[in-house]
Amino acid sequence: MININNKKRYFLYKYTPIFLLFTSILNEIDFNLEFKYFSFNFAYILIFYYSLKREGSIGYILIFIAGLFNDVMNGLPMGISSLSYLLLCTVASYLRNITLRPNLIKDWISFLITILALNFITYTYLILFFNYEINYFDQVLNIVGTLLSYLVFSFIFKFYDNLVLGRVD
Amino acid sequence: MDSSRDDFVIAIRSAFLKKGNKQKFSLLSLILFSIFFLVLGNFNFKIIKFNRTIIKEIIYYSSTIVSLPENIIKNSFNKVSDHFYHYDDYTKIKSNLRELKNKNLEKEIITFENIELKKLIDDYFVEDRQAYAKVLIDKQSPFLRSIVINKGSKNGVKAGMAVYDDIYLVGKIVEVNFLTSRVLLISDINSKIPITIQPTNLQGIMSGLDQKKGQLQYINKEKLINDNIETLLVVTSGIGGIFRSGIPIGEINLADALENNKLVVNFYRNFTQLKYVKISSHRKENNNTDNTDNPEKKKSQERYDQLQNIKILKKKKKIKYEKKIILQSENIKLKKDLNDAQNEIRKKNKELSKNREKSENLKFLELNLLHGHKCKKSLFRSHLYKVGSDEYRACILNEGPIKKN
Repeated sequence: MININNKKRYFLYKYTPIFLLFTSILNEIDFNLEFKYFSFNFAYILIFYYSLKREGSIGYILIFIAGLFNDVMNGLPMGISSLSYLLLCTVASYLRNITLRPNLIKDWISFLITILALNFITYTYLILFFNYEINYFDQVLNIVGTLLSYLVFSFIFKFYDNLVLGRVD
Repeated sequence: MDSSRDDFVIAIRSAFLKKGNKQKFSLLSLILFSIFFLVLGNFNFKIIKFNRTIIKEIIYYSSTIVSLPENIIKNSFNKVSDHFYHYDDYTKIKSNLRELKNKNLEKEIITFENIELKKLIDDYFVEDRQAYAKVLIDKQSPFLRSIVINKGSKNGVKAGMAVYDDIYLVGKIVEVNFLTSRVLLISDINSKIPITIQPTNLQGIMSGLDQKKGQLQYINKEKLINDNIETLLVVTSGIGGIFRSGIPIGEINLADALENNKLVVNFYRNFTQLKYVKISSHRKENNNTDNTDNPEKKKSQERYDQLQNIKILKKKKKIKYEKKIILQSENIKLKKDLNDAQNEIRKKNKELSKNREKSENLKFLELNLLHGHKCKKSLFRSHLYKVGSDEYRACILNEGPIKKN
């Protein structure tokens, strides 16, 4: 499908999403910046975008492992992030199957519904089974931040992919 | 209708079960696997616990390695910005140091009194175990505010131990692995710390609000408002036995609290800047009152008490000596100040007399212009005075010749 002659370019094209995913999860300086009213879930954006636009660019097993890493790093019950990430992949995969003409706004709305549903599942599980107390205001801000950031990052990812492939318009 | 349903089913089936060229597992199997993981997490089987611990250890250390380059950049940036504020900091610190030296002495005296009083009510805790740990991971999660430290069960760390930054409470251990542990910060919404508000002595519970603030719950606000104290100190109350009493946490600005209708505690420490922390547990000091039957134990207890008393006396002596030195130095300083003040007074007096003289001269010159002709000796008024003489001056100041009765 894509004619890539340059090996380095292909390497960057292939492994950047994986590198970004694991770096964002394992790094201490992550994307939940120290702003009081702004935070976003970078992993959600990355996984949704690449599952939707480039099937198989991040393997499901890697996503599953990344979820486990995220749980350990954040002190959450192991498996909950994996479940969220994989459900996100499922929705992205479903959207890809039914979409004939890709449209950013439609993707964006689907992303909103998906993250709302995923956060609902996560919070329900944490509250019911682990007696976590959750600051809903922070979580709503996080959802809004993630949603807004999706637009920005989708442009950045698209630009990066084109740059790596040498197709900058 | 049927065809659209079929499409939906096909799309769903494809999403769940289709494996890509290089995918070894379908999404469905991995989702089931993660649910299996979650369910297993609810059981505390030894094998599961062991595996979980190993996974956590590996991830914590790999995260530390991955974070190394960014940490280096962050630290260098901090160092550079520190240099810019170096001189300002130095002058501030210098002025603060003098104040603190005096305060420290007062504090030590109060501490000893406090220890003796606490011993009387059997509430004196001594440190049982203590360890210093490095913060490995300080990840800002929207769900849980916690840090990971590099000490675990190997170093005697146990769940529930208190964690300090200097003398300030940071949090408590909630998860212990072999080489690492997780600390739940007091800024987390899930941490419920029993506290006392000083000096009102009100009891309550504090939970985290954001990175620099906590929120008080179950507190009688009216009582606080009635007391009308501007700044209130928040310390642990010791209720529940997890933390000893009197560990400083933060302070409440009552004016702000009344404005926001929330009792917000401003923490003394910034939990995002933690590098090293102290972990410790406490136990009550042994009174051994029940060992009086055993003469050897009694003897050793007596010796221990004597040693403790000697220790306290030595410290008291040291404090008194320091106090004496401070008083002496203050005395010297006061003497010097007195001397300076006297010199200053002398200087001022001289200036005052000069000014007085000047004003007198000015007055004379002014009057001279007005009444000079009344006093000046001339051909026809030979009974008057020669210009420049004392009589002439007296005449001018009198605004005319002095009449003789």
